[in-house]
Amino acid sequence: MNLGITLHPQTRKQWQRFRSIRRGYYSAIGFLLLVLLSCGAEMIANSRALIVHYDGHYYFPTYGAILPGTTFGLDYPHETNYRDLKKSFSQQSDLSKKNNSEERSNWLLMPAIPWNAFESHAVEGLYPPLAPSLQYQHYLGTDGAGRDIAARLLYGFRLSIAFSLLLLACNYAIGTVVGIAMGFYGGKFDLIMQRIIEIWSSVPTLYVIMIVASILLPNFWILLGIMVFFDWTAMTWYMRTASYKEKARTYVLAARAQGASDWRIITRHLLPNTLTLLITFAPFSITGGITALTALDYLGFGLPPPTPSWGELLREGVSRMDNEWIVASVTLSMVIILVMVTWIGEALREAFDPKKHTVYQ
Amino acid sequence: MLRRILVSLLYIFFLFGCEEKTEVAAPVAQFNLAPYPVSATPLPENLQWLTNDSDPEFSDPAAQRGGTFRESMLSFPLTLRLVGPDSNGSFAGNMRALSMSLLGRHPNTLKPIPALATHWAFAPDHKTVYFKLDPDARFSDGKPVTADDYVYTLEFMRSKFIVAPFSNEYFTTQIVDVLKFDNYTIAVVSGSAKPEDELLEDINMNPVPRHFHQLNDNWVRDFNWLPEPGTAAYKVGEVRKGKYIQFDRIDNWWANNKRYYHHRFNPDHILIKVIRDQNIAWQHFEKGELDSFGLTLPDYWHNKAKGDVFDKGYIQKIWYYNNVVQPAQGLWLNMAKPPLDDIRVREALAYAMDFDKVINTVLHGDYSRMPTHNVGYGDYDNRTIKPRSFDIAHAVTLLESAGWTATDSDGIRKKNGERLSLTISYGNALHSDRLVILKEEARKAGIELQLQLLDNSSFFKQVLEKNHQIASLGWAGSGLSPEYRQFYHSENAFKPQTNNIVNFSDPEMDKLIDTYRAELDRNKRIDLAHLMEQKVYDSAAMIPTFQVPYFREAYWGWIKLPHGVSNYATRSSDSAVDAMGTGLFWIDVAEKNRIRELRREGKPFSEPVTIIDETWK
Repeated sequence: MNLGITLHPQTRKQWQRFRSIRRGYYSAIGFLLLVLLSCGAEMIANSRALIVHYDGHYYFPTYGAILPGTTFGLDYPHETNYRDLKKSFSQQSDLSKKNNSEERSNWLLMPAIPWNAFESHAVEGLYPPLAPSLQYQHYLGTDGAGRDIAARLLYGFRLSIAFSLLLLACNYAIGTVVGIAMGFYGGKFDLIMQRIIEIWSSVPTLYVIMIVASILLPNFWILLGIMVFFDWTAMTWYMRTASYKEKARTYVLAARAQGASDWRIITRHLLPNTLTLLITFAPFSITGGITALTALDYLGFGLPPPTPSWGELLREGVSRMDNEWIVASVTLSMVIILVMVTWIGEALREAFDPKKHTVYQ
Repeated sequence: MLRRILVSLLYIFFLFGCEEKTEVAAPVAQFNLAPYPVSATPLPENLQWLTNDSDPEFSDPAAQRGGTFRESMLSFPLTLRLVGPDSNGSFAGNMRALSMSLLGRHPNTLKPIPALATHWAFAPDHKTVYFKLDPDARFSDGKPVTADDYVYTLEFMRSKFIVAPFSNEYFTTQIVDVLKFDNYTIAVVSGSAKPEDELLEDINMNPVPRHFHQLNDNWVRDFNWLPEPGTAAYKVGEVRKGKYIQFDRIDNWWANNKRYYHHRFNPDHILIKVIRDQNIAWQHFEKGELDSFGLTLPDYWHNKAKGDVFDKGYIQKIWYYNNVVQPAQGLWLNMAKPPLDDIRVREALAYAMDFDKVINTVLHGDYSRMPTHNVGYGDYDNRTIKPRSFDIAHAVTLLESAGWTATDSDGIRKKNGERLSLTISYGNALHSDRLVILKEEARKAGIELQLQLLDNSSFFKQVLEKNHQIASLGWAGSGLSPEYRQFYHSENAFKPQTNNIVNFSDPEMDKLIDTYRAELDRNKRIDLAHLMEQKVYDSAAMIPTFQVPYFREAYWGWIKLPHGVSNYATRSSDSAVDAMGTGLFWIDVAEKNRIRELRREGKPFSEPVTIIDETWK
């Protein structure tokens, strides 16, 4: 949808101002990079190899169906253990080197973190949680069930970002539509909706989630649904006020005088002029979404185990304070992400601030 | 003026304080109660009176009296009553320990020993047992324990005023009568004929002090905070609601010098404080404000019990293998829910569970595999049964023979387009770590397990409504012989609110269960139990998980454990520092001061102490 703001000189100015606020700008780059990276998490932290070269054929096991061990001449029909396969390949090549044989064709490439978020690593004589170690390639150690923390952080990050972005999109879509309608039409509709929203927002969300979680197995979509169900109200107030204000402006009057329909006035005039509000609120809603999911998982009412989640790691970290790497890595990650998003939010607010001379230091 | 306000405030406070006190004060005790009539049928003459004065004593004569033993509890009990609403909380065990039964059980030989009764005799009908009461026995308020108290117990337990349906039922159908022959001779009659040891166990009752209770509509409320006078070594002392409960040892307890009872129950006081969080309780313990702490959980034993206080020998550790009935821990498969109605799928599932990996990772190699449902009943255990061990190839063969031949892109098996996906429900978040490992390993056989962590009460509701597919839970075991009826009889299958949660229904099993219940010969019962256990195993309805055949504890160096006949603890102990249960340890007050002194100076008390006792392994 072309909202008519992309080429506007005002927008260019805002972009320049955003760029000039360094920490916000670099945070934005860093954050986008992290989101992009997490989209390809399977290529960073995974128990499946990136590329396998076996008997002259190339295999790319990362995505798609599992490759049974028999594919690579192993004696089991379930999924190949690529870490073991790598070892046996290197033994083979050592052997062929010794024999001065030319044949050293088989090789495979593992991701940087050769663990997925679910498998527990049993080491003879050691009990989880394992401390960070290069030898086992658990760069941030493992949790109490022996699962790699780095992998769980990465997948957990992807999940919470996806959750909060979807939550944001849904909340804003509903909140904007209802809020603008209230502000634009006013009157009885506004009055009734106000009361409904007041009642709606006094329902305690956490309790509802706790009740639902005890009845059915909460999954990503159910949780998202519940959160949207109760959270969309927040945005309506802002949109209502903004559209009330804009509605009274002369340009709306002019548009109306020219015979523009309500739909046109709303989409072409009101929405673009209230967009600033949405954009400046967005980063804070993202942090809100991340913390909400983390809090739910922490309390045990979020996504069911073994879903990788920051809340669950945090809970584990708190109960295992002696294994400081667990709580350290998850709190540090949370702080970094939340600070980055907050900085982006500040910079955005500053860039869209009509009072140009305000300085954010 | 201010002073006057303060004084009147104090006065009000005092007034209210008094009012509260009068509210909970004991109703006037009934001293002049007419004795119950003597039974019409006379005491049979040629009774063969039995007693036990030949088993070894299990306490240590070196034990010293004195000191205060301090423990913690997670929440304050809702009542001090022994029966009625809310009286079965986690604190109830302490209250029950205040009253003794007719007979005790030797903790090592497991034979009956005298308690409130000195002798017992069996009638030929396998239902009636005669008892000679110990005339020395006294309630904690000094009143003698007589036959009338036992007759009254029946009246009390059958009363509707106590709001205890289970007791009402038990003392009507299981114990049908108590006969008084004279003040110190009674008979207790069971509702059904039973083998002697079972009979003795089931009719063993605790006398309710007749002079103490007033049964009426208000009993539940009026007696909520009134501790009933007991017959054991301790009585309830100071109580501060929400904070602590103290038990005091009775001066000149009537059984002080009796065989099996002397040198026991040594601390003068037992203080149980409310500490609402386990981690905080641990910190209290490390500071020396609690005397002992349970370390059975691997995490506590391996990770928390470390540091200066342990290295310097102030706190010592014990790992004691006992020999008691194991709770039936397992995965209970609901055979009414396809595909679990297929025995091949159930068996494949059992073979696809890598319990060894769980034991060797999250359980620190501490727990062991439970072989079958009933373990710890001595001769009744079917020791020929070995648990199904992790064997992917075998699981795959079984699944393929059951028609689960295709696999999808995740490697999960399919049959007629349906994925082999099963849900395990459980109610304890601490078990997640164990189940995620099982889940990952089961994938290798092409079985997908979904984990459903539910809040504990919703979980039990789901299971008792039989809406689960697989439930991960343990049933506490008790008694002298395994119990099959409630778990495996078809009369309980496919019905909500019964314990047959696997929906086991097999006419042959029903027949065995009925014969087992009616059989009076111990050896035949053992044979039947072995047969039934084998049937349970063959059905693969329950996949046994873990057993913990020991307890582990840490205790401060001033706690002294017995040596001699019982080293540290007994065969049936679930704690070595169990003040009111077996009560064998004692507190060395001089040593306590010394350890405190040494600790202040930072000097060690001894080498680190870790006792591992495998006498009963």
